Amino acid sequence: MAIMNPVRGVLSEELENSERLLKRYRQAIAALPRGSLVPKMIKGGLFYYLAYREAGKVRFDYKGKLSAKEVSDYKLAASQKAKYRGLVADLKKQILFLKRALHERKRRSR
Amino acid sequence: MKEKDAPVDLVVEVLRRLDTAGVLQGMVLVGSWCVHFYKGYFDGAALSAIRTRDMDFLIPTPPKLKGEVHVAELLKDLGFITEFHGDGSVSLSHPELIIDFLVAERGRGAEKPYFVKSLGVKAQPLRFMSLLSDDTIKVRSGGLDLVLPHPINYAFQKLIISGRRAYEEKAVKDRLQAVEVPREVVSRGDGGKARAKFHKLPAGWRKAVLAGLKAAQADDLSVLLTSAAA
Repeated sequence: MAIMNPVRGVLSEELENSERLLKRYRQAIAALPRGSLVPKMIKGGLFYYLAYREAGKVRFDYKGKLSAKEVSDYKLAASQKAKYRGLVADLKKQILFLKRALHERKRRSR
Repeated sequence: MKEKDAPVDLVVEVLRRLDTAGVLQGMVLVGSWCVHFYKGYFDGAALSAIRTRDMDFLIPTPPKLKGEVHVAELLKDLGFITEFHGDGSVSLSHPELIIDFLVAERGRGAEKPYFVKSLGVKAQPLRFMSLLSDDTIKVRSGGLDLVLPHPINYAFQKLIISGRRAYEEKAVKDRLQAVEVPREVVSRGDGGKARAKFHKLPAGWRKAVLAGLKAAQADDLSVLLTSAAA
């Protein structure tokens, strides 16, 4: 009879959690506005463009004049996206670690 | 070099924010994070470090939360995202921590999520939670007063649910945590208190606790709980 190992149970549960969370964070990143806000001074007026990459090219979408709140919302979204990207990197490392740990245990128990 | 204990730092930050918002005292910290804080209660006793990243808060109903805060917004800048479950309840998730809000399920058919207005979240009802909220202790940690279930009640609830788990590995984890906490209580001369609490449980729950202890091969605790008071 196989001996029940609570550590293995915890690792399996955490692997499921990490894989689910990775999907959720990717969805959260996709829901945020892409690119970064670039201000340009044109004839004394401050106009904004949204800069992003598409098919290897940098594109600028004209946004025009924006209110302070709109600019702050874009900046907040950009910092949130950076935070989420960092967490996605952490999750990928977790998944790799957990898969290795579970695989290692299986191999040793053979 | 000692590695930074990232989940603990995040847990403390979450607790600190909930405390500042005035809602921490109205919630009971349940689940495996309890064991981490019981260590302080037992003066650094060597209790199991096995835990998942789940952090469960039990909200006694009706809620007695003094403050009001949208908890998802409160934790958003830490990187928490809101996960919606099929039943309408939510979790606040982070790679290091998954926060769930629970309420006690009062009888069959009351399994609909419970909207906690003061937190802006829907909590998940679960059975046997009343055992955790009916008798609580306060533990001071990192300058915060935390409300935790009495360690004996924590152990009884774990033993009861261990017999209802679909996965044996989870049941083993429940029993492992459930046995070491009352042993610590008994080692401090509080065996009589454990026995008194046991005898106050409904008969079905007592039976489930004993079945859990048997599965955990903790005959010493079974004998202690069922013996006549000295």
